[in-house]
Amino acid sequence: MKGLLIISGLGILAMLAEIFKFKKLLFPMVLLGIVAAYAFNFMEWKTGMSIPYFDNMIGFDKLAIAFSGIIIATAFFWFILANDYFEEETSLVDHFALVLFALVGALMLTSFKNMTTLFLGVEIMSIPLYVLAASKKKDIKSNEAGFKYLIMGSFASGFLLFGIALIYGATGSFDLMQIRSFISEHGADMPLFFYVGVVFMLIAMCFKVSAAPFHFWAPDVYQGSPTLITALMSTVVKTAAFAAFMRLFMVGFAEISSVWTGILAGVVALSLIIANFSAAMQNNVKRILAYSSISHAAFMLMVILANVRSNLSVNALIYYSLAYSLGSIAAFGIVYNVTKKGNENVDAFNGLAKRNPSLALCMAVAMLSLAGIPITSGFFAKYFVFTAMIGTQYKWLLIIAVLTSAVGVYYYLRVVIAMYFKKQDTHEPIAIERSNIIVIVLTTAATIAIGIVPGIVAEMFEF
Amino acid sequence: MLLGYTITQWLFGILSFLSIMFGLMVVFSRNPVNSVLYLVLTFFCIAGHYLLLNAQFLAVVHIVVYAGAIMVLFLFVIMLMDLNHDNEPQKTWLTKIIAGIAGGMLLCVLVGSLKGSEQLGISQYGSSQIGMVKNLGKVLFSEFLFPFEIASILLLAALVGSIMIGKKEIK
Repeated sequence: MKGLLIISGLGILAMLAEIFKFKKLLFPMVLLGIVAAYAFNFMEWKTGMSIPYFDNMIGFDKLAIAFSGIIIATAFFWFILANDYFEEETSLVDHFALVLFALVGALMLTSFKNMTTLFLGVEIMSIPLYVLAASKKKDIKSNEAGFKYLIMGSFASGFLLFGIALIYGATGSFDLMQIRSFISEHGADMPLFFYVGVVFMLIAMCFKVSAAPFHFWAPDVYQGSPTLITALMSTVVKTAAFAAFMRLFMVGFAEISSVWTGILAGVVALSLIIANFSAAMQNNVKRILAYSSISHAAFMLMVILANVRSNLSVNALIYYSLAYSLGSIAAFGIVYNVTKKGNENVDAFNGLAKRNPSLALCMAVAMLSLAGIPITSGFFAKYFVFTAMIGTQYKWLLIIAVLTSAVGVYYYLRVVIAMYFKKQDTHEPIAIERSNIIVIVLTTAATIAIGIVPGIVAEMFEF
Repeated sequence: MLLGYTITQWLFGILSFLSIMFGLMVVFSRNPVNSVLYLVLTFFCIAGHYLLLNAQFLAVVHIVVYAGAIMVLFLFVIMLMDLNHDNEPQKTWLTKIIAGIAGGMLLCVLVGSLKGSEQLGISQYGSSQIGMVKNLGKVLFSEFLFPFEIASILLLAALVGSIMIGKKEIK
């Protein structure tokens, strides 16, 4: 909770920087504030108590704290990565404030206990991102991305609200726990429109995590937005959306899982097939990563689908989020530096191993982790998902997942092959900021570290 | 009592008919300005529904914000950008059919799910006086304090965002 307050305060502080002229100080202050938020978050984890705040509107239990920790840590890396990007921008202060407000929304999504907080969290996270996606004002692609994201996002919000309204109509409460107890009391006599409400919320959440067939916005938005904003979308936003998804469906609607698991299984299967085969046909690296994020969303949805109410699925989702966030931060950090000239196709990576061997190595590790090759954390992430899934009736999804992962290896390795085996077009060394190098190396090292000893993260939850 | 219905039921029927009719007119009228004006009328009818449901505050806010501020904004945009033509782009038959099927399916789901809900005998939750300004204020500042306050972050973010998009870039 203190983390949420600190980051809200930081956002407001960022806006004051323009007036009181401490723009230079703002960056270290934000970093310090994020570290403080992380420290308070960690302390709340240590005390291990879950105190609901404000009439049970929001509450940081262990699950929320773990997801908040991932989000705050990723945001820390992201801010360091974005250091020089912010320097180039004229509207630096606005960028800072918007990103911090998006973080507030993300933290609310991890810890909501009430439908009103869920909706406000979704909106607080999304609205800054609509603007940030369109923040390259002279670039028509960026404008398109922002506009598309806004229109589609508003549509999804409409579904979310309608779903909440229908569920309120049936249960008479916005409170997640009260809805849950109402369901277990009334069991089969729930009115039909309650189930429609649940399905509407499922659609809205699938949109927010960009799962097929609600994924059409993702490739265009990921490609059009400035690379670093794309990095933010595929890490912080995704983790927060999954934390919300998990809490909503595994806590709120767990009792009626027979209603939504069938639909979710279809969504997962479609996402796996569409995302991987489309990614294999792309040339633009950001588009490849967009489709890859859809297929990762499918994997994370599988954990929710498995619905094993034990530490197994919680651990699997947390580990997956962490592994994916780390891999994505490293990958997008490198893509940002390599594509600064404007060429975003795979051939921009040609001969990177000669031009900058360490960068190429980091990219290779990130790609292997996203593909799920052993000793990187991506392998264990997928392994935990499979162990959660194996006990359920949806084993056929595992076959699709394994087969499409094989397709996945093809497009991830295309980048690696371009780096190591293709002739370079230029001999220019890549100018890269020292802060960026530190972030990329750190996240790559962490990717391997939690891949070698997955127990550190995967055994966090012992209920 | 008129033909066996109470005045409230008559009002409900008339308002529902009008709001659905005006809603259809919004979609069917070819001139954007006409569409917007029909939308204003739809909003007034919905505000009437709010009054019937004993939600005075919501009704007034609905008229002030939607029928007032937002509609004026719509009209301004249409007039300033000179969109006042009947040149709506023609959609192909395929799109029309697909859109019709998709919309019709959604309608079927909603009608089907709401049909029969009256026999369930769901008791009325909360007090019927919750829509009064006084009660609403009390709830907003006690139980719903956190959402109420955090909404200020949402508004702030929207404000900063719109300024950032609108601001001229100084090089």
